[in-house]
Amino acid sequence: MEIFVLVKQVPDPEAMIKVKSDSELDIENRYFTNFFDEIAIEAAIRMKEKFGGKVTVLTVDNHRVDALRRGISMGADEAIQITDPLLEEANPFAISRAIASYLKDKPFDLILAGRQAMDDDAGIVGPAVAELLEIPHVNAIVSLEIDPQKKEALVRREVEEGKEIIACSLPALFTCQKGLCSPRIPQVLNVMKAMKAQIKKLDIKSLGLNPNEILGLKDIIKIKNYISPPKRPPVKMIKEDFPENVKILVKLLREEAKVI
Amino acid sequence: MALDFTFTEEQEFFRQTVRDVVNRLIMPRVKELDEKEEFPWDLWREFASLGYLGIRHEEKYGGMALDTISQMIFYEELARGSCGFAMSVIMQVLMGTYFIARFGNEEIKQRILVPAIKGEKIGTICFTEDQSGSDLAGTRTLATKVPGGWRINGRKQWITNGPIADFTTVMATVDPKLGLKGLNFFLVEKKTSERDGFVVGQRLHKIGSRCSVTSELIYDNVFIPEENFLGEEIGKGVQYAAEILNEVRVMTAMNALAIAKNAMDDAREYAKNRIAFGNPISKYQLIREKFAKYWAWYEASWNYAYKCAWMIQNKIPCTNECMLAKYFATEMCMYAVEEAMRIYGGNAFSTEYPPQRYWRDAKFLLYGGGTHEVLCDYLGRVFLKD
Repeated sequence: MEIFVLVKQVPDPEAMIKVKSDSELDIENRYFTNFFDEIAIEAAIRMKEKFGGKVTVLTVDNHRVDALRRGISMGADEAIQITDPLLEEANPFAISRAIASYLKDKPFDLILAGRQAMDDDAGIVGPAVAELLEIPHVNAIVSLEIDPQKKEALVRREVEEGKEIIACSLPALFTCQKGLCSPRIPQVLNVMKAMKAQIKKLDIKSLGLNPNEILGLKDIIKIKNYISPPKRPPVKMIKEDFPENVKILVKLLREEAKVI
Repeated sequence: MALDFTFTEEQEFFRQTVRDVVNRLIMPRVKELDEKEEFPWDLWREFASLGYLGIRHEEKYGGMALDTISQMIFYEELARGSCGFAMSVIMQVLMGTYFIARFGNEEIKQRILVPAIKGEKIGTICFTEDQSGSDLAGTRTLATKVPGGWRINGRKQWITNGPIADFTTVMATVDPKLGLKGLNFFLVEKKTSERDGFVVGQRLHKIGSRCSVTSELIYDNVFIPEENFLGEEIGKGVQYAAEILNEVRVMTAMNALAIAKNAMDDAREYAKNRIAFGNPISKYQLIREKFAKYWAWYEASWNYAYKCAWMIQNKIPCTNECMLAKYFATEMCMYAVEEAMRIYGGNAFSTEYPPQRYWRDAKFLLYGGGTHEVLCDYLGRVFLKD
């Protein structure tokens, strides 16, 4: 099976993030592979282990390739970085176009991606790539069965009050949800391999894309402004004795906190 | 562009990978590891199965032969998890196997080094005795030449991994009167029905680094064959030890840096949430000063420790520098854990809160690689050119 996995590096949940200006964030330089993308890598590696074939991890990032090395350390065979100054701060539509341009002539059975990136939570790139490639896609799958002979997949996704079971033909794109599998801890020899791995770099020109197309897509979404979450209000101490303090607490919870 | 403080992309990736392993395997168990005071065999096996015990050794024995800076990254990230577990792992990775890899013949390497890298055999190094430690010249464990090999007699104390060790690298003297010039290293395995060897003496209970088990080891007229002499020439043990002491000292600095950072990162969160007199205590200047002072010292000692790692990697003589790095980082760590205890106020005195664990673990770092009194006495003499 030929499998591609779309990966992204996102800020570590513990990284300090501040609003620098209306359209700019100041993000501490602590990044890690998107949690849902690691699940996608693991699912792809398991498919390769079961049916043979090749797993390629792919990212669009001008600065970081750790997610690609993570993929190699987990067992992926090849890593591709799409990088171009035009893709700096690109929105999901421009990124999807770049990925689809690379994949459109490639033979593949399966594309896997995370359900969403943990930074912008947009969840757009996976489905958008599938639409551009005109292949079926199912979001947020929690199980994956493949019949390589029949070129069919059976996937499950969680819906309200139950699970939805979907059969679809391959090639297809699935985005992966927590519960599908648990990402492995890489063996150190694979870590070494990943540290030394050559990353194939591609730019807009080599993908045969018109720069104006990317520029046009970049204009689709404009960030108007970032707003910091409200600061936590100060702690209010209730000094009265029991039972008066309980009455005051209930009143505050109802009227100020509005939680009861 | 000669002065470059950046890690390579590969080193950054390696740090991220080790951090992930520590976060997933060790962090969830830190409190339990400290409280149980037992060697965590399940964690050891799982960790060993990933291959990290071979980071220093040649690839043909199952190792990775990583560069020194990456090794230091490994030590720093590992100690960020559990200092006790880090001590056991580092003993195996660095001191416990160094002389086997350096001087052991092929049969010894296959029999001992290869399973040690897999975590199947556990090793340690034995310097300390009741009257010697930083003062190696006081070593009394005696190696006597006999036909076909050596006989070892003596008692070693404070041996990390001692109760569970399968093999030891023992420092012993061929003649106590020779002082440092009489010292040598010998490979001695555990006594079994088939093999003469050491036996485990009293187990020591420690206030910190509690999941690394420590004990006395007893060598009672143990016979070892000639090939278990680890060296090229008799009397060069101290010279051989010096080969590794720089790494040991910078490794200790890395552990100190990790503990200090843990302590002050936790203290920062505590200070921002603990309300006193109507404000988070982080709003008070005396509390802020503790963080500012720590930050300055931490940054200075972190950069200096990595400079030393870089010097070792580039084979630049740096004995004094590595002593300074160990001294500075560990003293900085003492400041950080002490101030974290104060920031937590009365809660620091409860085992429910983490600063007491950092404080207890940090104390362990004062002694290995030379006590600070011995290091400072030496460094002072060097500085004064006495």
